[in-house]
Amino acid sequence: MRNRLERDMDRELGFHLEMETEKNVKRGLPRDEARLEAIRSFGSVEKVKDECRDEKGISFFDALWQDLRYGLRVLWKRPAFTLIALMVLALGIGANTAIFSVVYGVLLRPLPYERGEEIVFARQQAPQAGITNLPFSVKELNDYREQNQSFQSLVEYHSMSFILYGRGEPKYVTTGVVSHDFFDALGVKPLLGRTFLAEDEQEGAEAALVLSNKYWRESYGGDPNIVGEKLQMNDRPHVVIGVLPSIPQYPQENDVYMPTTACPSRSSKRVIENRNARMVNVFGRLRSGVSLDQARADFELIGARFKEQYPESYPDSRGYGIGLMSLKEELTREARPTLLILLGTAGLVLLIACANVANLMLAHLMRRERELAIRAALGAGRRRLIRQLLTESALLAVGGGLVGILFAAFGLHLLVAFAARFTTRAAEIEIDASVLAFTLIISILTGILFGLLPALAMKGSITSSMREGGQTTAGPKRHRLRSALLVSQVAVSCVLLIGAGLMVRSLLRLQQVEPGFDPAGVLTMNINLNWSKYNRPEQRRDFFTRLVRKVQESPGVSSAAVASTYPMNQTSITFGPFNRNIQIEGRLVGPSEPVEQADFRIASPDYFKTVKMPLIKGRCFTEADDEKSLPVALINKSMAKHQWGDEDPIGRRVSLDQGETWLTIVGIVGDVKQYGLDRDVTDELYTPFAQTPGGRALLVRTSVDPMNLARQMENAAYEVDPEVAITDVRALEQARDETLAAPRLMTTLLLLFAGLALTITTAGIAGVIALSVSQRTNEIGIRMAMGATPAKVIWALTRQGLLLVTVGVTIGLGGALGLSRILSGLLFDVQPTDFITYFAVFFVLLITAAIACFLPARKATGIDPILALRAD
Amino acid sequence: MAKSKSDLLQGTLDMLILKTLALEAMHGWGIAQRIQQISDGVLNINQGSLYPALYRLEQQGRIASEWGSSDNNRQAKYYKLTRAGRKQLAQETENWERISAAIAQILRAS
Repeated sequence: MRNRLERDMDRELGFHLEMETEKNVKRGLPRDEARLEAIRSFGSVEKVKDECRDEKGISFFDALWQDLRYGLRVLWKRPAFTLIALMVLALGIGANTAIFSVVYGVLLRPLPYERGEEIVFARQQAPQAGITNLPFSVKELNDYREQNQSFQSLVEYHSMSFILYGRGEPKYVTTGVVSHDFFDALGVKPLLGRTFLAEDEQEGAEAALVLSNKYWRESYGGDPNIVGEKLQMNDRPHVVIGVLPSIPQYPQENDVYMPTTACPSRSSKRVIENRNARMVNVFGRLRSGVSLDQARADFELIGARFKEQYPESYPDSRGYGIGLMSLKEELTREARPTLLILLGTAGLVLLIACANVANLMLAHLMRRERELAIRAALGAGRRRLIRQLLTESALLAVGGGLVGILFAAFGLHLLVAFAARFTTRAAEIEIDASVLAFTLIISILTGILFGLLPALAMKGSITSSMREGGQTTAGPKRHRLRSALLVSQVAVSCVLLIGAGLMVRSLLRLQQVEPGFDPAGVLTMNINLNWSKYNRPEQRRDFFTRLVRKVQESPGVSSAAVASTYPMNQTSITFGPFNRNIQIEGRLVGPSEPVEQADFRIASPDYFKTVKMPLIKGRCFTEADDEKSLPVALINKSMAKHQWGDEDPIGRRVSLDQGETWLTIVGIVGDVKQYGLDRDVTDELYTPFAQTPGGRALLVRTSVDPMNLARQMENAAYEVDPEVAITDVRALEQARDETLAAPRLMTTLLLLFAGLALTITTAGIAGVIALSVSQRTNEIGIRMAMGATPAKVIWALTRQGLLLVTVGVTIGLGGALGLSRILSGLLFDVQPTDFITYFAVFFVLLITAAIACFLPARKATGIDPILALRAD
Repeated sequence: MAKSKSDLLQGTLDMLILKTLALEAMHGWGIAQRIQQISDGVLNINQGSLYPALYRLEQQGRIASEWGSSDNNRQAKYYKLTRAGRKQLAQETENWERISAAIAQILRAS
């Protein structure tokens, strides 16, 4: 259609000119003059066509199409420029795409559940026993359900493994055992069939199964007729009633889900009626209008009531607490500041890329001055020309964006691994429509940004350069723009380098911190006892004593212990110290004074040997410290210093229960970085396991790779009691590494960005100098003919570049002083104004810039002066 | 609301075109000749500016175009007045006569 318009216009205007020509011929003019006269009286044909096109209304898109094709042609003809610009843009935009997809997936995207902000997790704690995540018993859950006023629904969840007999071979499937309204509470609608109803959870109901999407596709090939099929599990038939959509599952990924009545242990009388049979996790959806704090207060009241009504189930020796946390908060809190810093950094890299390409664009346009001038003379409106130039830059930018998406896709899994340190939402990170839209938008904005400045700078030249006879000179305005772009690139690179440098120093400092123990070769696991079977402390003592003894006799084991926790385990890092109030014998504390506290731990005698914590004074626990002997305690160095200063605390007594029982301090052990290498050491007090049987962490020091012994250790536990549930099996070194993993990855990313920035900037400097050299060949020739040494010539060429770089670095240093404060939350033992880092960056930048200036300039000295003078 | 100078000229040109076409359908060149003729050479419009005006009027629906062959058997685009165009012409003419009468009176009065 557009072509038809053009053809029509050509024909119509052609007709007009012919008629006019004829008229002039009839008046007596010779033919060719007649034609010229006709054209003259008509006016600019191109302009008329343009205006006609404007009137036509569809001309905008036609003009756009023309601009696009023209732009592509121009870019195609200059492959060097196009490729370099594309690469630079791809790196800048790609980095932003990658980071944004993480930010979006983790922070911005709403939870895949309806009104996810209302979903809240509940956790019971037995602080005195050192347990932070105590499962609920059915009776407890029902009580909370009935007595609370804050939740629309409270649902239970726990995970088991059962053998499923269906199509194909029998397999273990991870099974989520849930309340009937579990999926309703999350707001998940089934893909096929239905989810559970109240009837499914009735005693005696037929067992129903809901399949997860992944399991359905992998084991049943996505069979659409799966609903209604009967499968065999736990010696009874289960009927498939539905399939879930493919969304991430909380709290864990499971293959199938069943109602509580279908789980053999969960539906047993013992579990249902025993308040102490704790095996389920609880979360729920708040009532609309109820705040989290209100819900917390509500639950605390109910918890307090429990302690009163059922003191045997909540003995003071274990203590009891109930905590609620919002799901979204839990998943995003830790990640937020880090991700935002990364986003800012990526944005700065993009700005540098823009400045760089703008400079390239400027040089590119300057070479096309002639062409632009001609087109202006032929009547192309100035606005149209600028629009054309912007289209070109938009093309470059979108092209860069597309390649950038590829880069981002490659780098994404590294970022996902990084994000997974902070949040389980990492599974939701992907390059989806929103991310692509973001990429498109910033590509276009980038294109306008780096296209507009050079285009405007060229505006003046379009009319004037024709008159100057085609000599391209760098007008002062353009020169200033180029300088400004260069300075800004250097400044921003400087800021990024300083940021990265600070992080590197921080990481190095962190890695040098003494943890206070030796995690190498230690295996740990949590042994969860059935509380109803072990409701007396003697029973627990008995179990663990037997277990530790058994483990110690196993081959490959150097020592074993049981404790309430181990250093750097994630749970204690999340929940913080278990502060117990202590009274020191002989010190009276007034009513208004703060009570002394200590972080309370329980450990068996070999604990300190197993984790290699040093004994500083006195003695460790021994087998002799049991329930019949004197109650004793160990304190750490920090507490000794804090409470007794230079006095000897050994032999002194403390009480944890307001003076009812007194513990005698028998030794001082070393400080350990319990909560991470970057956290302070707390005052710690240890009591022997035999005297206070609490806790559930088994630690084993092995002479071989700890994970090789894991199975054996588990079996040992099962041999003592086959009903225990073993969780969190890991090597202690893993725990230590995990505390370093996040800063390590963050530092890597920042270094990467800073390196990218530096590369782009250096290339930019080199480019500008090279351009300047090529434009000043004349001058070089003259200088050399006049006897200037190569050194002098190089100095003359690079002088200005070095000056610009110095200015840029100065601005950058100043900017960094201001901005580095943002990083202070992430830095360990390093000031944001750390002199060494700033100096190092200054040095590095100056050297790099000097090289970037020097190399192109050196080529200039190879120029034959005669040739240079002739080249004009 | 005072019209700008170019608006005024544009409006005038439009009216001239419509008036010309009111007599008979014509191609662009013919319209240009006719306007020159009728105004005795007083109004010597830049021939090129005729065409955007024609396109605009067509876009507004006041004139319609179709291809035909001219006197000397060449392909030319002919324009004719539409009903809407005819109506607008009548209105504008009335307006114009009223205004010019008023102006004439003012000028005579002094």
